[in-house]
Amino acid sequence: MIVKIQLYKYGRLALILPVVVMFMSFLWLPGNITVYLAGDSTMANKEVKAYPETGWGMPFNAFFDSTVTVNNKAKNGRSTQSFINEGLWKSITDNLKTGDYVLIQFGHNDEVPTKANATTETQFRENLLRFITEARAAQAIPVLITPVARRKFDKDGKVQDTHTVYSAIVRKLAAEQNVPLIDLDKESQALLQKFGPEDSKMLFNYLSPGENQNYPGGMADDTHFSELGARKMAEIVLTDIRSLKLELANRIVISHFGIK
Amino acid sequence: MKIRIIKCAVLCASLGLLSFMWLLPPVKVYMIGDSTMCLYTARQFPINGWGMPFANYFDASVTIDNRARGGRSTRTFLAEDRWRPIADSLQPGDYVLIQFGHNDEGELPKYADRHTDVPDYKTNLIKFITETRAKKGIPILITPVSRRNFDKDGKAKETHVEYTKAVFETGAEYHVLVIDLDKKSRELYQQMGPERSKLLFMELDSAEHPNYPVGRHDNTHFNEYGARKMAEIVINDMKEQHLPLADRLVKGVNKLNISPQAK
Repeated sequence: MIVKIQLYKYGRLALILPVVVMFMSFLWLPGNITVYLAGDSTMANKEVKAYPETGWGMPFNAFFDSTVTVNNKAKNGRSTQSFINEGLWKSITDNLKTGDYVLIQFGHNDEVPTKANATTETQFRENLLRFITEARAAQAIPVLITPVARRKFDKDGKVQDTHTVYSAIVRKLAAEQNVPLIDLDKESQALLQKFGPEDSKMLFNYLSPGENQNYPGGMADDTHFSELGARKMAEIVLTDIRSLKLELANRIVISHFGIK
Repeated sequence: MKIRIIKCAVLCASLGLLSFMWLLPPVKVYMIGDSTMCLYTARQFPINGWGMPFANYFDASVTIDNRARGGRSTRTFLAEDRWRPIADSLQPGDYVLIQFGHNDEGELPKYADRHTDVPDYKTNLIKFITETRAKKGIPILITPVSRRNFDKDGKAKETHVEYTKAVFETGAEYHVLVIDLDKKSRELYQQMGPERSKLLFMELDSAEHPNYPVGRHDNTHFNEYGARKMAEIVINDMKEQHLPLADRLVKGVNKLNISPQAK
């Protein structure tokens, strides 16, 4: 009789224990999250016909483990204002969940007064503030990124600031709002300086005439990246995600490749 | 009124038909080769075989089927029965792009598992050629893409001497078009020089890319940039040699626009 009861007891335990352990292991594992990318052409996914032009959001996709989905909403030509007006921002907030990230990089189009979707400095700041507030309202984590540098050198081969005013707005707002900041403008300038005026062309969509089928006349683009440049920019962003100690850094893929 | 509608419908239908006729009949391009040509997954990025970017430059009439595999020589590709399924499914007009050598030439005894002597290498290439032609397919031989190897005077060295020669000899004997990727890739390395040419290869600092936590220093395998440069060489050579496949390349629409602002 006693034996029977004990069997019954332990038998039940044997059934329950694995279930409990399994449940707890789910609690320990980080849940699935989405990283939204909000920005312009320097970040966007490209059509095949634009290849090898590459936005840095494309290689960024390969950095994370299976708990992370990168949803790149960045689009060519967008300013903070047209990103809002066209419903792109809403397409993010409609789906934002607790623990999701929103990586925000604008400025290239906002800062060009001749563009129809240009924003004033005040408007730019207000739109970014709106992104921050609405992301936080959804328990998501906004990350501000200064606009990645254009390739511009002076005659002495010194890299030039190309987003002075708008990058400063991003930096100031990040400090005020206590938002993690990735100073991609500054760090990409340092990379361009390291490459120098000639070699830095390899980071951008520079193609000689007849070299590439998609650009029969060649291309000399000081704004948009080649595959190499896009990946280098994505690597800068990843390094900062690590040094900022964002929770997202725990989800960077752990690979066994390359270990020989 | 009714007649007008019918006329309009007929016109539209024939225009629709014409647009299909402008597109050449569909062909498949099989790619057989080694790790320098093959597909890789996102977990292996930024390594790219040159077959990956190559597939981006053809119109909708072309399907690229990249069957290249890392580590394979002509001998092991055949031994693992990777060729027969291709030969079986070949349709008239299909292409087979053949690039081997890196593993065939692997030195003995270390690479005994893949090594193929030059005479056997030729025999295997001939098998690919004759069996492709038996199905009215078009074989294309490609010399093995060069490794990055500079001598102390900064001269890019030949890295596949015998095997590239064997490709040319086989090509001449069987009247197969040869794309000399070995020579043209080496010319590019030379033009870039010993330091800059590293930017084409899997040359990664540790912690640079999470897929390669200990970094990588590799003079054989390409990154995404190098793979594209190799694909450009192959495509431009196909155009120079007037290979009919080149008629199916996309017609680039992007105009040269010096230093545009962000789009």
